[in-house]
Amino acid sequence: MGKTMLEVDHLKTKYITRFGENVFAVDGISLKIEEGKSLGIAGESGCGKSTLALSLMGYYFAPLHYQSGTIKVDGVDITGMKPDEIRKKILGNEIAYIPQAAMNALNPTQKIISFIEDVIRAHDPGASKKEIYDLARERFEILGLPESVLKKHAVELSGGMRQRTVIAISTILSPKVLIADEPSSALDVTSQKMVIKMLRNLMEKGFIKSMIFITHELPLLYNVTDEIMVMYAGQIVEHATAKEMVFDPLHPYSKGLMGSILVPEKGARDAKLTAIPGTPPNLKNPPKGCRFADRCRYAKPACMLHPIAESRLDDGRMYRCYLEEKELREVYQDE
Amino acid sequence: MKNQIRQIFHSPKFTVGFIIFAALLVLTVFYPLIVTNDPLEMVGQGNFFKPGTYISVSEAVNTNPYTLNLNASSSRLEQNLSMEERMAMADWLNQFAGLSSKEMDVTDAGELVSLWKDHYDSASEQKGLIAARKKYFSRLDKKITGLLEDRDVLLAEKNQETGEVSVKKTIPSTSYVNVKDVGSRRVFILGTDNFGRDVLTELVAAIKTSLKIGFIAGLIATTIGLSLGLVAGYLGGVIDDFILFITNLFTVIPSFILLILISYSIGKNARGVMMVAIIIGLTSWTWTTRSVRSQVISLRNRDHVNLSKLSGHSLFRIILTDILPYIASYVVMALILQISSGILAEAQLSMIGLGPATTTVSTLGLMMNWAMSYSAHLNGDWWAYFPVIISIALISFSLNLMNTGLDQIFNPQLRE
Amino acid sequence: MGYKKYYTNKIIWYLITLVIAVVLNFILPRLMPGDPVSAIAARAVDGMTDSTAIQAVYEDYAEKFGVNLPMSTQFLIFIKNALRGDFGVSFSQYPRTVGNIIASSVWWTVCLQLPAILLGWILGNVLGAVSAYKKGIFDKGILPVFLFMSNVPAFGMATVLLYVFSLKLGLAPSSGGYGFDLIPSASITFFRSVLAHYQLPFWSVVLITVGGQAIGMRSMSIYELNADYVKYSRFMGIKDRKIVGYVFRNAMLPQITGLAMSIGTMIGGALVAEIIFSYPGLGTTLLAAVKGRDYPLISACTLIITIMVLLANLFVELIYGVIDPRIKAAQQD
Repeated sequence: MGKTMLEVDHLKTKYITRFGENVFAVDGISLKIEEGKSLGIAGESGCGKSTLALSLMGYYFAPLHYQSGTIKVDGVDITGMKPDEIRKKILGNEIAYIPQAAMNALNPTQKIISFIEDVIRAHDPGASKKEIYDLARERFEILGLPESVLKKHAVELSGGMRQRTVIAISTILSPKVLIADEPSSALDVTSQKMVIKMLRNLMEKGFIKSMIFITHELPLLYNVTDEIMVMYAGQIVEHATAKEMVFDPLHPYSKGLMGSILVPEKGARDAKLTAIPGTPPNLKNPPKGCRFADRCRYAKPACMLHPIAESRLDDGRMYRCYLEEKELREVYQDE
Repeated sequence: MKNQIRQIFHSPKFTVGFIIFAALLVLTVFYPLIVTNDPLEMVGQGNFFKPGTYISVSEAVNTNPYTLNLNASSSRLEQNLSMEERMAMADWLNQFAGLSSKEMDVTDAGELVSLWKDHYDSASEQKGLIAARKKYFSRLDKKITGLLEDRDVLLAEKNQETGEVSVKKTIPSTSYVNVKDVGSRRVFILGTDNFGRDVLTELVAAIKTSLKIGFIAGLIATTIGLSLGLVAGYLGGVIDDFILFITNLFTVIPSFILLILISYSIGKNARGVMMVAIIIGLTSWTWTTRSVRSQVISLRNRDHVNLSKLSGHSLFRIILTDILPYIASYVVMALILQISSGILAEAQLSMIGLGPATTTVSTLGLMMNWAMSYSAHLNGDWWAYFPVIISIALISFSLNLMNTGLDQIFNPQLRE
Repeated sequence: MGYKKYYTNKIIWYLITLVIAVVLNFILPRLMPGDPVSAIAARAVDGMTDSTAIQAVYEDYAEKFGVNLPMSTQFLIFIKNALRGDFGVSFSQYPRTVGNIIASSVWWTVCLQLPAILLGWILGNVLGAVSAYKKGIFDKGILPVFLFMSNVPAFGMATVLLYVFSLKLGLAPSSGGYGFDLIPSASITFFRSVLAHYQLPFWSVVLITVGGQAIGMRSMSIYELNADYVKYSRFMGIKDRKIVGYVFRNAMLPQITGLAMSIGTMIGGALVAEIIFSYPGLGTTLLAAVKGRDYPLISACTLIITIMVLLANLFVELIYGVIDPRIKAAQQD
């Protein structure tokens, strides 16, 4: 077993609205990633997965606030650190981030190399221009990006090139954890494949020690990550290996999510194309019982009564449903 | 629509702007109903009478006097000793009586005069003073003595037949009149201007004319801007290139310069209020064209427009039903700004002498122009021009507030 | 190479604009009905009493304009004379030439307005940026005050400053460009006098410029503060102070084009403000020309102001091309 790179225990963070209401977009989430492993997080938009990405970095600014729980990076709890300490020691250095719509994440009027200088000097103020340039050039070469990109402004690059540049910059300090928030959505299929290949390459070369990959397309994760968590309304509803999740989803929501997208993978192809009806609950005032109950085809009256606890199978697979594994398999069989 | 209007009035900025603007409008409508004098009537003989109540002197001496036991001399001193004279007195006292300037307070005339009376002696040597200056001080001393004395004033009457002058009435210094007893009086709240016109009445009429100029200029500019913007944005291609070229051209060539050239060229006789408004409108459409054009470009490939095209609707109908409603808010905002800049343009044009050539109405710019021509600003006759400036600023401020309020409603990104 | 194309395009465009502006300057006064020269000359004579002067003006005019020549030839003569800086003889200040009058007033205007507009622009941008970022007193107190001031016309601000600082407090002279008892020279006394007379006209332009620029900068900054790159830079561990630097640089760039666009409007207002102080610049000259019905002088004033504005615009756009990489990128497409 490898070293644990990131361990999150019952993390709760909230948005405070203009009217002072608390919205728990991350509501008691635990996860663990070992060195060399990757974890996928899937869910509809608005389920809190992007907020989870921001929360994992331990760097909060309004309207997002920390509530409770711990985040350990390589064994060190960062939740008690001062913001400036996190900024200097953790961000970009230990945990790196690839934002949603990464193609817009670069300052349009700054040269790429100048931004890389800013990133590196934020952690190592003494780094010389030459050191930085050499490092950047070497890394870009390994990742298959032309050196000329360094001297250009973001506006001079194509969308796909910008995307890959952002990934290269995010990982330039060889972080222990890379959090990629929908890095490949909004791209065409070729660019998508390129991004995923690049992330794999980074893992293989050891430039990143572990990775969290967030997406709304659950089936996409099969090729990319070792494990998958499905998130719904701020909570994890199922956690399994990628293979189990794609071919044998247990939670009704995971099943719906798998079925809602047609993918050219064998096995998944037979699944019916069914969107999940309804919308996620309002997190200002989440339902008392199962949060998915009012959209669930298999819901029973009892589902609505009490919060649902996590259940674990013998192999460590986790799911959050009122029904037993056996019952679930039975209802799926009946269809 | 109703909902939108309610939303607009929820914006405090729009509401404040609207209230100020509406108040000005109400003033121009109701003031003439109360004060029916001709706004351009030349009442005063002379320039720039101070604001205040003017009562007839001959009536005042003929009304029943009231005797009040008040010491009038101190207020007479305050009123009649100018600051310059007081400074001269303090100077003299400092130089020749050895009083330190700390002991003297030039703002207290009574105190200063009593020091003066104690120390001044016209016969003293006054070393270093030229003769003219010595005389000045002795005249000043006489004036002060006169002011301190409570002498009666004799009113004389000339006999029509004999030509003899005889005392008709003696007015003691303790005699007062009640202003209410004097029938002939006129209140000039803001004084009079260089022609002796009542500034307030003239100002209200001027605000009305200037608003009219702003509205006409704004409507013309918005109509031109809207049409060009719609055509350029919707049709695209060569027509767009051409219109954009013309628009860029007139954005760079200062509209103020065009305004001067055109106004001068058409000559004084043709330059009425209406004509000035039209010229201003004709030179200020570029901003509207730009913003309408870019809005239309972003609209023209939207689904509902494409649907309309596929359904074979006419160009006119598409523009009317699928484009105009979406840019209406921008057009209204542009109109508001045009009105405000139109009023300013008239004022600036009038200031350099190219405003409406008319003697029948006044505009804010013409009032300003006359006040400056007669050096009101150098003589401190503030009432002749400050109210004009405040009016322009209030109109412009209220319109801009309304515009910002609308902008925040229709461009949510600007909201905090 | 992208730059070269950009520069060439800009310069050609401004040359075309200049030509059209000159044509307008030539043609607009000639659009009025009747024989233009006799109408112009008749007006000129209207204010004059000296008969030799009238005669001289008439002759000068007939020669300059080539009264009976076709319009196109007249235009060529106009251009030829204008290129030599020869705009004829002034009606109202006979026998001074128009070129001479313009030459003595143009620098007063340039030296007054250029620094004033620039300072107003800089202060406005700083205030806008600070009120977007720091909020509080800047956003709720200082900015609204300047916004209200920006609604006061330039000449209005000029009279207010004149009343307060010159008439009431006696801190500054009230009119002219230098003391009336001085002759322009390179002495310290003269320089001091110029500086003292400079204050009120200068600040009246600055004060009304700040508000409009600040509100534009504020909304640009708010827009940029919400941009994706701000969030990304934060999560890459870059200090907030550095990120604010990015934001303000980016917000400032559109403000530069904004300056180019509004320079014409600003100069119009500031010219009128000169009149209040009888400042010896183009504004006061223009007023005198209008009052004296001095057509050649008006024409030359408007032409020189147009050229000044075009030059300022061209300059701003060329600078903008260098500092905003987006321009370069756009040229490569």
